[in-house]
Amino acid sequence: LTRSLVPSAPAALRALPPPVAVGVLHTTRPLHTTQQSLAPLPPLPEKGGEVRHGLIPEEFFQFLYPKTGVTGPYMLGTGLLLYFLSKEIYVINHETVAAACILTVIIYGIKKFGADVAAFADKLNEEKMAAAVAMKNEAIQTLQTAIEEEKKEQWRVEGRSFLFDAKRNNIAMLLETNYRERLLMVYNEVKKRLDYQVAMQNLRRQKEQEHMIQWVEKNVVQSITPQQQKESIAKCILDLKALSKSAHAAV
Amino acid sequence: MNLSFFDQFSSPSLLGIPLILIAMVFPALLLPSPGNRWINNRLSTLQLWSINLITKQLMIPLDKKGHKWALILTSLMMFLLLTNLLGLLPYTFTPTTQLSMNLALAFPLWLATLLTGLRNQPSVSLGHLLPEGTPTLLIPALILIETTSLLIRPLALGVRLTANLTAGHLLIQLISTATTTLMTTMPVVSLLTLAVLLLLTILEVAVAMIQAYVFVLLLSLYLQENI
Repeated sequence: LTRSLVPSAPAALRALPPPVAVGVLHTTRPLHTTQQSLAPLPPLPEKGGEVRHGLIPEEFFQFLYPKTGVTGPYMLGTGLLLYFLSKEIYVINHETVAAACILTVIIYGIKKFGADVAAFADKLNEEKMAAAVAMKNEAIQTLQTAIEEEKKEQWRVEGRSFLFDAKRNNIAMLLETNYRERLLMVYNEVKKRLDYQVAMQNLRRQKEQEHMIQWVEKNVVQSITPQQQKESIAKCILDLKALSKSAHAAV
Repeated sequence: MNLSFFDQFSSPSLLGIPLILIAMVFPALLLPSPGNRWINNRLSTLQLWSINLITKQLMIPLDKKGHKWALILTSLMMFLLLTNLLGLLPYTFTPTTQLSMNLALAFPLWLATLLTGLRNQPSVSLGHLLPEGTPTLLIPALILIETTSLLIRPLALGVRLTANLTAGHLLIQLISTATTTLMTTMPVVSLLTLAVLLLLTILEVAVAMIQAYVFVLLLSLYLQENI
């Protein structure tokens, strides 16, 4: 045995004499080389074992079926019971009645509440699984939303140049508008100043004119002598008479 | 197997070998240990759920120091529940009908709560001996009364459990004997007693569960006072 095992053993082992190598071989068996884990556990069977009358496994009936048929186990049970009773191996005493009562209560309880309790236990397990599955789904959903958001951002990046152009145009227009406003302001200010000068000149000329006219009038009025005044008045009277004659003629 | 009324209360022995230890340990064999799985079978799930419920109920009134008692109180509860319920089956021996066992459970646990209180907060523990707002003249009498009530607690715990279970079992025995005896002579009356017996059995199931709960609840109350 050692000769068959020793050739496959490492070289250091072969250097030892065979009786020692046997003992050493056991200790050189590789230990803790793999991460021995208990998962995944084999799944639990879907249903429990089949049971008849709540107590006796179905396999017992199948076991007796080939030799005694369908009624075999029941005959066995009845026979056993009658044997125990008749031989007084089991004595009917007050405990029998008490046994009947407690068994009635137990069987009634199981029949009435059994399904509900089983459903409750299943619900507890389902809730546990549902919580874990919900967490998993939520994580998947979050990631998918993140992917969609990322794609949207990438699409937005494509349109970014248009956005910048539009913004640039806006700014250029604003600057242009501002510049033109300022030009207008400059023009208006200059025009105001020139208008002022023009108005000043006009005012000066007007004033000079008026002054001259007044001076002329004043001198003329001063130069009118009394002789000239009488002559002009006589002329005016003659004119008026002539006019009145023509006016009489017209009427 | 002719049974007298005392046979169910005598400590069982087989060929001179006392079976009391097996009788006390057996209920623990009925509880499956939770396996390595995340989702267990129905029995394990229900057991886990019920133990969680019991522990939460017992530990909510206690503060963090009292949570050290969680294990012993919950296991005591499960033990009493199972032994009481299993004792209702025919021809079974209920260890909790023995005063010796109940006192052995009650006395050390009560003493532990008392000593914890006296050691950690002696004035508060002794302060529980005098309820608030008593008239001054009554104080000496009240302290004596409260001390008596304190010292009688373990006896009360043990005897309560023993008496309830023993009385229940004895009643079941007597009424079923009456039913059996009357069956031959007056069957109708026998049926009436059978009906009484059915109701009594339901009561006994309730009493078994309630007495276990009361025992553990009172211990947790004594713990609350003293922790």
